[in-house]
Amino acid sequence: MVNAYITSTGSFLPGPPINNDEIEEVLGLVDGRRSRLKSRILKANGIQTRHFAIDREHRTTHSNADIAVLAARACMAGSPLPMRSVGMLSCATTQGDLIVPGFGSMVQAGLGIPEVELHTAHGICSSSAMAVRAAVNTLRVGDQSSALVVVSELASRLFKHTRYEAAGGHDAIDFNSEFLRWMLSDGAGAWLLERQPRGRCLRVDWIRSYSHADSLPVCMSIGRATDPADSRSWQDYPTYADAEAAGALLIRQDVRLLENIVKLGVDGALRLIDEGLLDTDRLDHLLCHYSSHHFRSKIFAMLEMCGARVADEKWYTNLYTKGNTGCASIMIMLDDFLREDRAKPGETLLCMVPESGRFNVAYLHFTVVEA
Amino acid sequence: MAEPVVIARPEILSPIGQSTLRQLLRTWFDFERRLSRVPIIQRLETGTFTLLDYQHLLLNLRQQVIEGSRWISRCASSFDREHADIRSVIIGHAHDEHRDYEVLEQDYVAAGGDLITIRQRPRNPGSEALHGYLMYRASEPNPVGLLGAMWIVEGLGEKMAQDWAARIEPLAGIGREATRFLRYHGSNDDSHMNKLYGLIDRICTTETVADDILRTATVVGRLYALQLEEIDVA
Repeated sequence: MVNAYITSTGSFLPGPPINNDEIEEVLGLVDGRRSRLKSRILKANGIQTRHFAIDREHRTTHSNADIAVLAARACMAGSPLPMRSVGMLSCATTQGDLIVPGFGSMVQAGLGIPEVELHTAHGICSSSAMAVRAAVNTLRVGDQSSALVVVSELASRLFKHTRYEAAGGHDAIDFNSEFLRWMLSDGAGAWLLERQPRGRCLRVDWIRSYSHADSLPVCMSIGRATDPADSRSWQDYPTYADAEAAGALLIRQDVRLLENIVKLGVDGALRLIDEGLLDTDRLDHLLCHYSSHHFRSKIFAMLEMCGARVADEKWYTNLYTKGNTGCASIMIMLDDFLREDRAKPGETLLCMVPESGRFNVAYLHFTVVEA
Repeated sequence: MAEPVVIARPEILSPIGQSTLRQLLRTWFDFERRLSRVPIIQRLETGTFTLLDYQHLLLNLRQQVIEGSRWISRCASSFDREHADIRSVIIGHAHDEHRDYEVLEQDYVAAGGDLITIRQRPRNPGSEALHGYLMYRASEPNPVGLLGAMWIVEGLGEKMAQDWAARIEPLAGIGREATRFLRYHGSNDDSHMNKLYGLIDRICTTETVADDILRTATVVGRLYALQLEEIDVA
């Protein structure tokens, strides 16, 4: 079978790093009052700095497509392949600048790649893995010889204080609708995939994902009212202003259900071990945008007992300095990881992408090769 | 009186023990997802669970809880002298739990139910199937496969204590005095897990035994879910 190789990576993070004391200055005080939950949520996620594509006056400094284009250019700057020669453009984001058309169209326009085969994946964090999967498959069947995967996230626009004020303000905001305000931030990453290896690069060994929307409720969403008894979608209100007032345009995380993502992440890994695809002892690096301390639970002790635990020193994350950029996280993380020159030829990497939206976990396994 | 027999937790499990534990974990996660698809548990997770749901839950659990101590006792008596250490551990377990149903009945009354109603409630079809299967397995000589049943039942006890009880109280508008049965099993995690690791190490020495344990865990999980599904059928 034809292989696929990641031959270049790049990323872009808009604006300066914003530390924990500055976040609320950028996003704004809801009804002029400080958040009561901020420090607790930040302490739990451990993030120290992140980037926003909006400034303190809430002007958008870069559109989502802008961030994506800049990450794609950074990626292609590391490759001799001309941008015009890219055969496939495979994009993902949680929400593009426009509701339609697809995000990929806007990125293609920004990059100026003619006659490219276009793909846009839709979802949250795991849409990155879907975009990579589409690119890898296209190379493997031999339809293209190169594919540029560009994944971008611009969450900060959802977190302006005015959004919360429009939905009832300080007293109407519950933990679940505030949680992600202190968690998500902006950025984009891009990987160039080719059928032929080039220099030191990553061979794509396999990609697998397991979705559990059949058995679990929605955990992270935009589009439903604050009141759980109101089952309407944001599109069912007479006006979008009515939807916003009902809280249906707030991004919300059902924190109570989050523990499931840890279990499902472990479940998928055990399945991969049983299928003989994953060997946790032989694995050299694990990249995950959930920090390992989220996985410190009883399950971890059991993984140790059943010989499936990945040793702490193999975990890599840039979560604490680059923030949680949703679907872009794994893309930016691999770029940082490779730039730090941590991986030697022959070593293996597992990228794990857990999505809590309605529970999908993707795994991407690579081997470092030298062409 | 003699000291209770303890099957010690090993430092590390054998390869077959490790593989069995991995598959038991996956069986558990699969069971949890199946539970999430059961209507009454869906209501619990989505926040539409009511006091009436809680009463129905207890009404439908009581029979299985009473029978629970029976299959464990039967299981203990089916182990021969070569397995005397296992028998001792299981006898201790049966003793710990054989009056649990009384706590459950008191919870039902505290939640506004009537004692006579719960005592007269027959087993639902799922409870019949679960009880029948467990008694059949427990009657076989040296029923090591029932370690798989213990895995599911104990895991469920922990889930009730850690997830369900705190979720049910505000939804049903009741206090902790009405969820003592659910909360009862959450207290001694480490000792339960150490006991389990010890039993896996002691029992799980061949592929045949490993397959039996996993098969039993799968069947018990399915029948337990059926018991809960039947709440909405009755």
